[in-house]
Amino acid sequence: MNPVAGIGLRSPHLAAVGRERPATGFLEIHAENCLAETPALQAVERLRADYAFSVHAVGLSLGSADGLDTAHLARVAALVKRLEPAWVSDHLSWSVSGGRYFNDLLPLPYTEEALEVVVRNVGRLQDALGRQVSIENPSCYLGFADSTLSEPAFLSELVRRSGCGLLLDPNNIFVTAHNLRLDPRDWLDGLPGPAITEYHLAGHATNDADGEPILIDDHGSKVSNGVWALFAEVVKRFGARPTLIEWDTDIPPLSVLLDEAARAAGMIETVVVAGGQDAARAA
Amino acid sequence: MPLALRDLQAAFAAHIMGADHADLVAAVAGDTIPAAARLSVYRHHVFESLGTALAATFPTVQALVGPDFFRGLARAFIGHALPAQPVLTEYGADFPAFIAGYESARDLPYLADVARLDWALNLAFHAGSGDRLQAADLLAVPAEHLPSLSIALAAGAVLISSRYPLDRIWETSQPGAASETVDLNSGASNLLVLRRPDDAAFVSLGAGEAAFMAALTAGMSLEWAAGAAFQADPAFELSTSFARLLALGAFAALQ
Repeated sequence: MNPVAGIGLRSPHLAAVGRERPATGFLEIHAENCLAETPALQAVERLRADYAFSVHAVGLSLGSADGLDTAHLARVAALVKRLEPAWVSDHLSWSVSGGRYFNDLLPLPYTEEALEVVVRNVGRLQDALGRQVSIENPSCYLGFADSTLSEPAFLSELVRRSGCGLLLDPNNIFVTAHNLRLDPRDWLDGLPGPAITEYHLAGHATNDADGEPILIDDHGSKVSNGVWALFAEVVKRFGARPTLIEWDTDIPPLSVLLDEAARAAGMIETVVVAGGQDAARAA
Repeated sequence: MPLALRDLQAAFAAHIMGADHADLVAAVAGDTIPAAARLSVYRHHVFESLGTALAATFPTVQALVGPDFFRGLARAFIGHALPAQPVLTEYGADFPAFIAGYESARDLPYLADVARLDWALNLAFHAGSGDRLQAADLLAVPAEHLPSLSIALAAGAVLISSRYPLDRIWETSQPGAASETVDLNSGASNLLVLRRPDDAAFVSLGAGEAAFMAALTAGMSLEWAAGAAFQADPAFELSTSFARLLALGAFAALQ
């Protein structure tokens, strides 16, 4: 797979991307922003000739014990059929309970019961779309005392049982590891590398939680140095994948996102080329 | 005994909405950051992100009351009614009615009507453009059938009537508009909201035109709608007004 970096396409940049067609590897849209017949959706359709697309859902609530919302599932399936994206993804989290939508990626206990729920929901999603989807590791602000599996072990088992891919977000690993006192490099151990289909990168903020710093995954700044270092480690271990720069709050000019994507592409190339040279020397 | 996942999620949901739940707090792994502080990160994000979504859907309401007042208004509404599904541009249908009953906004009696206009513009923007009625379509209808013809409004088109000068209030609330005083007693307004090719917008209708569109919306025939328009405004001219509305793309293609 060629190393390639893309950007999350957000409404403030839609006109500029349509006009300038900047050189970037691929574009990602949020499924929930593209379900109505808006001028924005028509603009996205016009961009399909020039860019590979990723459809990233944020509201399927794959961790809901209540199961999936059939109506929403049908709308996402219709969008996927229409755009025929290269990748489709959502998160290891839940956002619906009792028919109410919380608009957040809420945390799951990592138990056998939760695993069965997520495997069932991901299976239903993949059946509805007729294709594999990738599941993203979330940013966590708490862990559950009753969890019997680590997050990467849960994801590995989800991949094994459902056949889904992994969308690996090093920023989310960094945020979760800090907040839950884990070592982010240990977190990477044992992940099924071949299942990884895409990387996400974004910035995070530091807030105060009763006097202790807690990292918040707000997608509102440049990727931090610590996350770049972790990304280099991820690429070294698992290889190059399509890599996305996400920015959702305080969205800067398009050029800032493109620069971050270029930095990611450069880092992938450096790590992969260096790795190739190491391998050549070892041989 | 750990909570079953469904119960854990119900307890988490209730906690976000403000009901403390001892079993949930006990289920969260504690350390130097207490479980309650960790849970509050989620509660904060749910209210903030939904508030941001409401501000995007109701920009004129926010411009009129300012971001601080709007945040409180949005928090009250979110506590009252969470979205039922994840498409946030479809969240807020009940916001205008909620504003009408919101005690702290009682001195802004026009605010609920402004919210109705923001919501109508949002709906029109997200409606497909659909096929519009063309003058040529009417030529194909036998003349004797025209009076009994029913014509539906185009997708997204809706009439918003208010006892306040909504168009003036809206205009002075737009980004970059010069600040101006609007006389709230300067008269009622009838605004026709429409989906245009690249956006949604509204035009101001006279009393006759408004009665005409209201009658068509109610399913009345052309003849009855014209009668309602004459009643509202004896100076109503059917051919002039109909041509204007047709050119605006206000009508759906005939079924």
